[in-house]
Amino acid sequence: MRNRSLAMGFTLAALLMLGLLAWLVLRVPSEDGVREWTGSLDPGGWMAWTFPAALFFWVIAALLLAFTWAAIRFPETPRRGALRIWTTRGDRLFISLLGSAFINLAWLGFGGTPAWGGLILSLIYAAAVFRWV
Amino acid sequence: MMDKPVNNRAWFLVLPVLIVVAFSAVIPLMTVVNYSVQDTFGNNQFFWNGLGWFQEVLESDRIHAALGRQLLFSAIILAIEIPLGIFIALNMPKRGFWASLVLVLMALPLLIPWNVVGTIWQVFGRVDIGLLGHTLAAMGFDYNYVNDPVDAWATIIVMDVWHWTSLVALLCYAGLQSIPDAYYQAARIDQASRWGVFRYIELPKMGGVLLIAVLLRFMDSFMIYTEPFVVTGGGPGNATTFLSIDLVKMAIGQFDLGPAAAFSLIYFLVILLISWVFYTVMTAQRETP
Repeated sequence: MRNRSLAMGFTLAALLMLGLLAWLVLRVPSEDGVREWTGSLDPGGWMAWTFPAALFFWVIAALLLAFTWAAIRFPETPRRGALRIWTTRGDRLFISLLGSAFINLAWLGFGGTPAWGGLILSLIYAAAVFRWV
Repeated sequence: MMDKPVNNRAWFLVLPVLIVVAFSAVIPLMTVVNYSVQDTFGNNQFFWNGLGWFQEVLESDRIHAALGRQLLFSAIILAIEIPLGIFIALNMPKRGFWASLVLVLMALPLLIPWNVVGTIWQVFGRVDIGLLGHTLAAMGFDYNYVNDPVDAWATIIVMDVWHWTSLVALLCYAGLQSIPDAYYQAARIDQASRWGVFRYIELPKMGGVLLIAVLLRFMDSFMIYTEPFVVTGGGPGNATTFLSIDLVKMAIGQFDLGPAAAFSLIYFLVILLISWVFYTVMTAQRETP
């Protein structure tokens, strides 16, 4: 009973997130049929939203939602890894995200081409954190 | 195993906090992220700039210099305030009338708002009317915090020591008070020296609070804004322009929203990293789940 309402709730949340993503994509301005992915989503708005920034926060929100679901659905015990500290999945996500931010900054600082190089390094780093920390 | 009923409805009680945090932190942060990848000439008109501002901030000599000054300042503050705080705590009376009086006196600087502390020292250090500046000048010292970078640094460091050493001392005092008398009695039986008592009883017992003191002082000095702004305004030249002063100059003085946004995001990440280390180190000692 409880599991079913939980699954319902998270399915609803996932659908909402997908709907939000679709809405964001629809808001991307286009000129002569060509989509301008870096254009303003709300021209004149003070928050100055663009699609890349919105997608960034969408990914963070989706990760938080997914990890909340995972924590309830597959409970876990904290473990002690390479850093000698007790971590749960959520802690490892935080360490991955914070480290990725610095990896991307370092990549940018040391040349930064191509721009997605830092992202690939971050993914490798995140995989290592989830495996060994 | 008992099957305990779980009621997750209590989570709704967190909602008001979530709303407040959304308005005071999350929405401004999202706006800063948006500003950091765009350029504007006012009028809420924005143009995509990609990662250009981040690149500019990472390569900026001006910000590197401010970061260097900031790290030097925090290092000096810690090197003075922590040993001095421990020394004062060791020499504070343990009980009775004098203990209460000293506690109140020590707490006084902590109660004064930052800008008032800045104003006090700004006037105190002036050569024409300030007690400190005038006395130093009368004694023949060439002291002038407005023109001389070394004097400006000395004034700000002495001011911070005056303002915050009490915090370290009070924390250490609390740690010392929690040591049972039996430890000292055992040390006396073993004929331990004063240094031995400090090294093997007092210092280990103070470890927890000392760590809090170190990290609080580090984070606070790393974010310092008001006091140097009031006393020196970041001068002479850029001698006392710390990170937060530079950030405000860039964002509000020059209205460079893009670079300032990228700068503040990097600054935020550094503080987030330090806070995480702070939290982890603090809880790692006690927690064994």
